Amino acid sequence: MLKIESALRTPVRKITSFLEGMRNFYRFVESIVTSFRSIRYLRFRSIYSIVVNQTRFTGVDALPIIISIALLLGATTIIQATKNFPKFGIEGFIGNLLVIIIAREMGPLATAMIVVSRSGSAIAAEIATQKQNREILSLELMGIDTKLYIVFPRILASILAIFSLIVIFDITAFFGGYLISLSTVYIPAGVFVQTLLDAFSFSDLAITVLKSLIYGILIPLICCYYGFMPESDFQIPIFVSRAVVRTLVILFVINAFISALFYF
Amino acid sequence: MDREELLSVRSLCFADEGGAACRDVSFSLARGENLVVFGPEGAGAEVICPLIAGTVVSFEGEIFFKGRSVESYDYVERHNYRKELGYLQKNYGLINNMSAEENVALPLRYHSRLSSGEIDAHIDRLIGELGLEHCRSLRPVSLTGSETLRTAYCRAIALDPDLLLIEHALEGQCLLNSQQFLKALGRWCRRDDRSVIVVTYEPERFVDFTDRFMMLYEGDIVFSGSRDDFLARRNEYLDQYMRSSLDGPMKVR
Repeated sequence: MLKIESALRTPVRKITSFLEGMRNFYRFVESIVTSFRSIRYLRFRSIYSIVVNQTRFTGVDALPIIISIALLLGATTIIQATKNFPKFGIEGFIGNLLVIIIAREMGPLATAMIVVSRSGSAIAAEIATQKQNREILSLELMGIDTKLYIVFPRILASILAIFSLIVIFDITAFFGGYLISLSTVYIPAGVFVQTLLDAFSFSDLAITVLKSLIYGILIPLICCYYGFMPESDFQIPIFVSRAVVRTLVILFVINAFISALFYF
Repeated sequence: MDREELLSVRSLCFADEGGAACRDVSFSLARGENLVVFGPEGAGAEVICPLIAGTVVSFEGEIFFKGRSVESYDYVERHNYRKELGYLQKNYGLINNMSAEENVALPLRYHSRLSSGEIDAHIDRLIGELGLEHCRSLRPVSLTGSETLRTAYCRAIALDPDLLLIEHALEGQCLLNSQQFLKALGRWCRRDDRSVIVVTYEPERFVDFTDRFMMLYEGDIVFSGSRDDFLARRNEYLDQYMRSSLDGPMKVR
């Protein structure tokens, strides 16, 4: 009896802790919604520099890594497709494969992963450090709505940056990947562009916008949530790590959910 | 002429996890009046400013600001209330990724309806008064102790608050360098339309411009009086504190 009890204790504790975490996150989101009541007092000039800096850090500064990964991913996909599709007699579907793999799935997901690892961790670490330095308290003492002042500009910047990065990722993966793949296989440029255009639909564009919107909201939201959590200095790395890992897991789940919703 | 009552604290009881507490503390502050609250570590003086500013919400008793209970404020009103307070924190709380000038400008850019040009002019005046021209573009990490103190003070008074709360501002400061801050604070305290509450371990440093002094020990008010009463030291608690003596009614833990 005791053995069964002790065997059940760990999973029960984990489930309780998961539910407690969900409740705390819900309260955090609720507090952000509440903070929107004071949005009419918010002067955009006070958050302008945060939006610009966050957009630059999340978007512009991430360009080299986004371009590199997009090139490699695009080239790999194109090389694999051009080498293997003829074996199955489906070489005419290269454009469809690119749209399915890169535009619908890998573009948004890889971009979001890069943003989480670079900016998500930075957001969580920055807020956690500010909290420990009592900077967050000092903002509150100035009558500044910290949820609005800290979270809202990061969400704005993140949506803007992620959408731009996804578009850049897709374009780079398609055309950069095509150029790299020319070193191993030859596909006429006209044929490549035409198959790509034929494969693209309006829903692909709409889903890209939807994903960038959802990721743009969720990444800063979850990372800010974990940034506000540490109660002492030594907890900062623990919560930064949690912010990154859990955001990644949630992104994969959301990505699968959106794909299932729109493409099944 | 009777002055308007700005702040009224009635039967305040509170204890925090760190052991700081106050028991049945009551006092009031008229507009233009200045008060220094002091006492040994853990006496309860350190919880006075957070309670007034509303960062601690679960306490017994009542705090009235301009005749209205602070507890009755809703979400938006609480933020607007804090706009009327200037708060100089113990560790100054400057935002590390902003320059000294940006720190001072922050409450103005967030709250005020002034144009950017007017804000810049106001900041120039404040920075000039506090002698901070040479460090306006420096981040807090590059500032000296007294520059940090003066920057935080500039930020606290940027919105011309009705009530300025100063919490252990001089601890760890150079006696000479902090004179510039004390001079500016003295000018502020002499205004008859603005009030100041200073919480400190060194009440004697504020004696030139303070109207009233209040001493706490183990959460209770053990001395409250005018500047003359403070200087006369007829209270045994006050006398022991000012002599920094271990002999007397107060036991040091």
